[in-house]
Amino acid sequence: MRIANLVSGVILIVFGMFMLLWIIPMQIEEGPAGMMSPRLLPRMMIWLILGLSMLLIASNLRINTNAFEVTPISLLELLALAKIGGVFAVALSLFLTSGPLWAGIALIIGAQVVLGERRPHVIAFVPFFLIGGTYLLFYRLLGTAIM
Amino acid sequence: MAMQALINGFADVLNVYTILWICVGVTIGYVLGVLPGLGKATGIAVSIPLTFYLEPVAAIAMLIGIAKGSAAGSAVSAILLNTPGEPSSAPTALDGYPMARQGKAQKALKMGLFASVIGDLISTVVLICLAAPMARYALLIGPVELCAILIFSMTFIGGLSGKSLIKGLIAGAFGILFATVGMETETFIPRMTFGLLELDDGLPLVPIAIGMLAVAEMVVQAGNMRQLDKETAQIVESTKPEDRVVLWSDWKRCFAPILRGTLIGSIVGVLPGLGASVGSFLSYGATRRASDFPEEFGTGRIEGIAAAESADNAVVPASFVPLFALGIPGSVIAAILIAAFVLHGLTPGPRMFQEQPEMVAAVYASMLCASFILLIIGYTGQRLFAQVTKVPIRLIIPCVLFLCCIGAYMETGSIFAIYIMLAFTVFGFLAKKLDFSFVTFLIGYVIGPSAELSFRQSLQILDHRWVGLLDHPIALVFVALTAVILVVLARSRTRNINSLPDQTAGTNTTTGGNRETS
Repeated sequence: MRIANLVSGVILIVFGMFMLLWIIPMQIEEGPAGMMSPRLLPRMMIWLILGLSMLLIASNLRINTNAFEVTPISLLELLALAKIGGVFAVALSLFLTSGPLWAGIALIIGAQVVLGERRPHVIAFVPFFLIGGTYLLFYRLLGTAIM
Repeated sequence: MAMQALINGFADVLNVYTILWICVGVTIGYVLGVLPGLGKATGIAVSIPLTFYLEPVAAIAMLIGIAKGSAAGSAVSAILLNTPGEPSSAPTALDGYPMARQGKAQKALKMGLFASVIGDLISTVVLICLAAPMARYALLIGPVELCAILIFSMTFIGGLSGKSLIKGLIAGAFGILFATVGMETETFIPRMTFGLLELDDGLPLVPIAIGMLAVAEMVVQAGNMRQLDKETAQIVESTKPEDRVVLWSDWKRCFAPILRGTLIGSIVGVLPGLGASVGSFLSYGATRRASDFPEEFGTGRIEGIAAAESADNAVVPASFVPLFALGIPGSVIAAILIAAFVLHGLTPGPRMFQEQPEMVAAVYASMLCASFILLIIGYTGQRLFAQVTKVPIRLIIPCVLFLCCIGAYMETGSIFAIYIMLAFTVFGFLAKKLDFSFVTFLIGYVIGPSAELSFRQSLQILDHRWVGLLDHPIALVFVALTAVILVVLARSRTRNINSLPDQTAGTNTTTGGNRETS
């Protein structure tokens, strides 16, 4: 975790500087005279994050360790993030082009497939069960659209 | 007077419609609790939009049912799979799983349920007795005091809900920072909206919570899928009847641990930020120390399950004490429930006891009803719910992702909510893996607006002179307490780092691994 902490500390400092020098001045106007500036609290939080990130780096630099460090994020988890992200990308593009039904089907089937499900009847049944159940719950039982 | 209000509350709750939704909530919660990684916070976050169309009492009762059901259900996977449904059930697995391996899974599950219900019920009574009197004092608090209390709470929660004080505070600061997105309430100047009209009202809490809690957890689960699936088919069941039921001799052994666990859980719940994991581990440790056979703990002692589960479930109602009395969420479910309460017309805080006493009484009554319904549903359906652990995780994840999308979409009725959910999935995934407490983040996000408002008012009241704090002794006490907490936590953490430089967590990573307030 030591290296991860150091890297996160550096990233947070870069983020903080970017926010302080770029985002906050660009995205938040100064308030009217005599009132507390709308920039004050965001700035205070960024300064706090900057200070704490420096502390994080300093405290982790002080730790003396020669032991092998286990990375906090495993390759399998990163792979899972990429796979599920990919499924969402497909589902979202279908939502925008073809509508919510196809997006839902793509999400459920896509997630099953990328996670290793290969039985065709299961792949077909799960979306049918979920989307059918959702339809019954909202449109029949609750009597409303999903929104 | 109070008893009369409670009786009126029962009159509002004891009808088929509300009871039905409590049953639905408890059942959903129990099933979610059984599934590793899907805890009460996730369940509530996903279900809030589903309650849009329910009557306020039924909606809140259902969400409370989910919280109670999942707190109890998380013991099932801890006992059967050695994989706690939530980190707070980890001590349950220490003795529950060995019992299951000995063929006593049914006995362990039943004791887990009974201890859960007793802990939960007594803690609900504690909430009812404590919240209103505390709220009376809270009404004497002005903006300066409130600001000091909020700073103290954030420091306390940030320091205790993760492994690192610094990272906890960073997470809290991020929570408050994100809460500033949107139209500023005093000047109506948009802040960090990037020209997007959808952000004028700020970032919606439900998609954030769903992304950080549910979808991020599903990604972690997907990464650990094989290990979870391997555990499922290893349980054998004894044919002896005495191994399937809780005997009188078991009750005699568990009575004191349950009461001790309930007391510990209630105290831990009232203190913001400590969370159910702290409660269950403390209770388990105290029971082991008090036992005549401490060396047998971890080999299948039923007292271990009773101690852990009673404390775990006692934390949930007790964590509503700071929410109801002060309007400060002490746990992540309390933070998420604020959205639901406000949505259904109940603003948590000291004024709700004066402004909406009927609603408060109905909430209390529904909490008490949910405890009894939990016992009935848990007892009758336990064998069935236990089957859920046998469903492969590769089928559970797509279902959860789909429900998450519906939950997030319903919050705003726009695809923008899904984008927010996905953005916070990545944020939550990184926070989870790098041990930046997402609990502190969410609580910071929820209290951010009131923190800013009280800060503004404090600046005006104090006329920008810090010396004016001397006229506010309560605020001074909390500022001093914040400083003390910071020093104490920083010193204890430094000592831990020096004594254990390379200690890596030995707990099961499939539930998120890190200790979090739930």
